[in-house]
Parts: sequence; C-alpha cells; structure tokens
Amino acid sequence: MAAIAHPLHSLTVTFKTQNPSSIRSSPTSKLTISATSTTNKHFSGRSLTAAVIGGGPAGSSTAEALASGGVETYLFERSPTGAKPCGGAIPLCMLDEFSIPPDLIDRKVTHMKIISPSNLTVDFGKTLKSGEFISMLRREVLDSYLRSRAESKGVTLVKALVTNLEVPTSSNQPYIVHYTVDNRIKHLPVDVVVGADGANSRVAKSIHAGDYACAIAFQERIKLPEDKMEYYTNLAEMYVGDDVSPDFYAWVFPKCDHVAVGTGTVRSKRDIKQYQQGIRSRVLPKIAGGKVIKVEAHPIPEHPRPVRVRGRVALVGDAAGYVTKCSGEGIYFAAKSGRMCGEAIVRASEGGRKMIGENDLKREYLKQWDSKYITTFRFLDLLQHVFYGSNAAREALVELCGDEYVQRMTFESYLYKKLAKGNGWDDFKMVSSTIGSLIRCNIVGKEMGSIDPSVVAKFV
Amino acid sequence: MAFFSSTTTHLPYFSSSSKTHFPINPFFSLKPQIQHFASVRATENGSGAAIAVEEKKDSEATEEDSLGNGAPVTGAVEELVVKFEDPKWVSGTWDLKQFQKGGATDWDAVIDAEVKRRKWLEDNPESSNNDFPVVFDTSVIPWWAWMKRFHLPEAELLNGRAAMVGFFMAYFVDSLTGVGLVDQMGNFFCKTLLFVAVAGVLLIRKNEDIDTLKKLIDETTFYDKQWQATWQDEKK
Repeated sequence: MAAIAHPLHSLTVTFKTQNPSSIRSSPTSKLTISATSTTNKHFSGRSLTAAVIGGGPAGSSTAEALASGGVETYLFERSPTGAKPCGGAIPLCMLDEFSIPPDLIDRKVTHMKIISPSNLTVDFGKTLKSGEFISMLRREVLDSYLRSRAESKGVTLVKALVTNLEVPTSSNQPYIVHYTVDNRIKHLPVDVVVGADGANSRVAKSIHAGDYACAIAFQERIKLPEDKMEYYTNLAEMYVGDDVSPDFYAWVFPKCDHVAVGTGTVRSKRDIKQYQQGIRSRVLPKIAGGKVIKVEAHPIPEHPRPVRVRGRVALVGDAAGYVTKCSGEGIYFAAKSGRMCGEAIVRASEGGRKMIGENDLKREYLKQWDSKYITTFRFLDLLQHVFYGSNAAREALVELCGDEYVQRMTFESYLYKKLAKGNGWDDFKMVSSTIGSLIRCNIVGKEMGSIDPSVVAKFV
Repeated sequence: MAFFSSTTTHLPYFSSSSKTHFPINPFFSLKPQIQHFASVRATENGSGAAIAVEEKKDSEATEEDSLGNGAPVTGAVEELVVKFEDPKWVSGTWDLKQFQKGGATDWDAVIDAEVKRRKWLEDNPESSNNDFPVVFDTSVIPWWAWMKRFHLPEAELLNGRAAMVGFFMAYFVDSLTGVGLVDQMGNFFCKTLLFVAVAGVLLIRKNEDIDTLKKLIDETTFYDKQWQATWQDEKK
C-alpha cells in the first residue's frame, strides 16, 4: 500500500483556540493551548482517519466500532495466523455483547475445582444454571473471526509489522505510522492512533506512556490419553500454594483436544520453571501418560500504564494494562475497551466529520472506562492482596469458596460483569465467615511456623 | 551449560533439592526438550532484566512449537513419593472418633494434628487425590475451641496490660491535676485518650506492627494510585 497523500499536509489551518481562563487564573502557569471539540474544524471532503495497531480482540473491536461510525480505519496486524498463548476463557456477557457465534466455542466449562495447598478441594459451579458456562476458545479462532468481522464493516486490514509511530511536533500535523510489508518500509499518515498492540506495545513506547509491572504466565499444552481427558471434559482446575506460585495461581484448563497446565508469577519470574514443575507434580496422576505438545509464555500487565491517552493516541487492552488481578482476565476487557474507545472517537468526531483532541479522548473514553470498571479492578486487587499472600490466606480462600452464596456471587459477577445483587443478611454472613476463616487459618499458619520439625518427620 | 550434557539422573535446573519427589520426573531429560530449555535458561542467566526474558520466551514460544513434541509425562517412579499418612486421617478427613478424650472430642488434638498435616504438605506438596478428596477444613472445629485456646490467653494478656497502663495513667493524671478518676472520665480529652489507648493496644502489640500497618496502608492505596496516574498528567 503506497503512502497516502494526506490532505492536511496542504492545508494551513491551525484551528486551536486559546482557552482564556487558563491565562487569567494562574499567572505562574504556562499558557495552555487546548483544543475543545467545539472549536475543531469540520473536514471537507474526507472523514477522520484512524490507525489501529494490533489486531487482537482489542484492536478488532476498536476498528469495528470506528468503521461502523464512519471513520476511515486501518487495522495493522503482524501475524494474523498466530496462536497467542492465553487461557482462552471468556465470560458469558462477551458472547452476547460481541455476538460471538456459538460454534467458535471449543468447550463449555461448567465446573471448576479450586485446590488449596493442603489439597482441600472445593467444587465451584454448584450454583450455575443450565445455560451458564465459561467458554473456552482458541485465540486464533476468536481473533480471526473478530478481524474478519471488522473487515466486513469497512476496515482496511494491513498485514504488516509496525516499526515506529512518528508523533507530530505541532498539533495539527498527522501521526505517521511506519510499517514494513514485503521487506519494504512504508508509512501512513493518520489523524488518530489506537494502540492495541499488547504488553510490549510499541505505540506506548512512542508516546512515552511509561512502564508497568508484568506477571509472567507460563503454560504447557499437554495432550492427554482419552480416559484422563474425560475427567477434564467441562472441568477446569485452579491450584493455589507456595509450591505452584508465590503470588498467583496455577491452572489446568481444558482446550479443544488437550489441556493447558500452567502457572504465573509477578515477583519470582526466574523461578517460573520451578513453579511449573510444582504444578506438574500436583497434577501428576491426572496427566500421567500425556504428551507435551507446546510450551509457551507471555507477559501479563499488572496495572494500567501511567499514561493511557496522549495527544490523539489512545491505548486499549493489554497495551493499556487492563488485566484484572486475582483472575488475570484480559480478553473481555480488551475487547470492551477497544469498543468503548472506538465509540468515543466516533462520538467526539461526530461520525468522522471533525478532528478530535486529547481532551475528547480523555472525556469520552478514559472517564467512561474508569467510572465503569475501576471498582471491579480495585476489588479484585484487594482480593489478591488478602488471599494470595500466604498459604494460610489461600486455605481461607478455598474454605470460603465452599459456601454457595460466595460461589453464586463470584460467578454472577464474572459471567455478567455486573456487581451481583445479594441480600444484606447473606452479605453480612459472608463477611463474618471471611473474617472467621482468615483468623482460623492464620492461627493454624502461625502454629505451623512454631512447630518442631522433628515432630513432623515422624509421619514418614 | 555443561550440566545439560548429562542425562537421566541429573535434573537440569532446580536448585531446591528439599522436595523429595523430584527424581520421579525423568521426562525433563529427554533430548529435544533440553535444547529448548537450554536456550531459554541461557537467556535467564545472561540477562537480569525480566522484560528481556519474557520477550525471548515469547518469540521462542511462537516460533518453536515443534520442540517439546512427544515428550511424555510419566509418573513411573511413583514409589519414591512419600505421601501423608496417619492412622487418624481417614479418607480425606480427620476421624473425630479417634480424638475422644473423656467422652468428648479433644479439639486441641485435632488442631495440632491439622497443623502438622499442613506443615507436612507445605514441605512435601502432594497431588490431590480424586478418590479421597480432602474435605476437612477449619470450620469443622467449633468456634469456642478456637476461642478457648487462642483468643482467651491473648485477651487476658492485653486486658492485663491495658489495666496496668490505665491504673498508672489515672494515678499520674490525678497526682498532676488533682482530678479524681470519676471526674477524669467526664472530660472529653480524657475520653479521647482512653479511646486512643484501647485502639493502640489492639492494633499495635509489637514494635513491628507499626511498620506492618504503614505497609498495609501503602499497599491498599498503591493500585488506586496506578489507575489515577493517567489523570495526574493533566494537572502538570
């Protein structure tokens, strides 16, 4: 695709008005020149152009929302056929909100087992109704479906590697996307850029968005013999304990015809292999006789980047850091943030007819996103702090999960991404049993610390 | 990476040899897998930065999915695994009938047994058993057993300390101001001091608790600060 001659290059319009109040109010602050949507000029003869870098769930959703709203969109994806290392679990609400056809789903998980360090096993899923399940999909299947749907809405798909994003020095110049296709370097000037290029986002680097702490998720895909695979037909397992992860959990997720056994950690990345060995030992009788068909690892952001919007560039999905703590869920939030960002740009530009500015992005996208989901993220962060910190806390967590009310609340919040409606009395009981379990398990933990090792050895 | 040239008996990369059941995993020594892990291990040792490790792993994972092929997961040498065994631990739970003392269940002994079991499992993690899943959790033990054993002695200690401090403070204030105990209680400032003293005794029992509380406050607000960081930019 040849470089497109950008109409803005020929225009000499600098339609940004000074905000008078900023001059008068603080004599010591420097002059702030801000472009508000009311003062942006309407385009004549063309619509707003946008480049979405990264064609995963976030990028495809952004591109689809933009194109449906009348913005000229280019979606860049470097490897459309790649299979991303990922848990691959999506909640029910995503199937509805993003119209995912049911034949894409490999497995419907209706049972979950959560296993404590002392092997206390709790069956999650007693409260699920018949139509409720966690969908397991292959990322390559989901991603290519979302991309092709975006393409059908009018998005131009560009199979290329984006090498650099040139940020303009003055605010009316376009952003230049430098990319390589067929060993040739090309560039594309656009008005708006959305970075959906994941944890190692190049767009984030170009706008100096800052860094974030990452967890590493490591998993092995194991093909099991038929009888062992039957156990995992619609069951996923979660293991907690210091032997499998110091600050996260290890999992066995069923996929289309094999299981993914993996673990993750934030603070002990060097020891990830040790933790993987730990989870394999814990699951050994259930996976004995299986063959490892793939080994993969991926970084998972732990919190949002310090800057998520700068100029006319916005970050969505993993690039922005929208992964919840505690469960490590990212697919739904990536797609949702992409859609919200795309819709925000369409709204602010009035269907692609006007230029937009940083304030538009912040007001329409960031503010909406934060107000909608910050409580969810904060709550899951609190849960991670309280329950993933020590073996004693993990025992308490598993104990609590045995309670039906807790299970119902958890699943409803996860599947529908809405704060589940409970009644006050049950909430109070849940809180007091939480405190009770934590106290009891911490007492046992403290006693464990003061125990004489020779006494324990007698059990051999 | 000299140790990769040795084969079956030597496990490649785990330094913690305290876990007794490591030798049962011979699959790690199969040739095709060693090369893959060798190259990843080289990166881990060479670069200190975690980001570099992840990037390498990421590219390795996507390009080399033919490695690791056909490496079977075997548990052939399971006899080496030492499982937790105790006559009182029956099919996934403690048999309370074996803990009888004078006609009633000796809950203290149950607590001790559970502590030992969890300690054992912490040092020697075991695979979960499908036939006899563990169903024992701490809520089986009644609340008064916990109170009697753990809460009451500490409550006695704290109340004793509070009483001693309270008596001395009341005497001290009386000697300075001449205000007796009953009149002290009527004063708002004294009531505030009393409240602070009670809260202090509850929250801060050792010197380390002050640091713990500070860290707790920091941790609770840290995540929120990261979310709000993008809005701070506006104010600069």
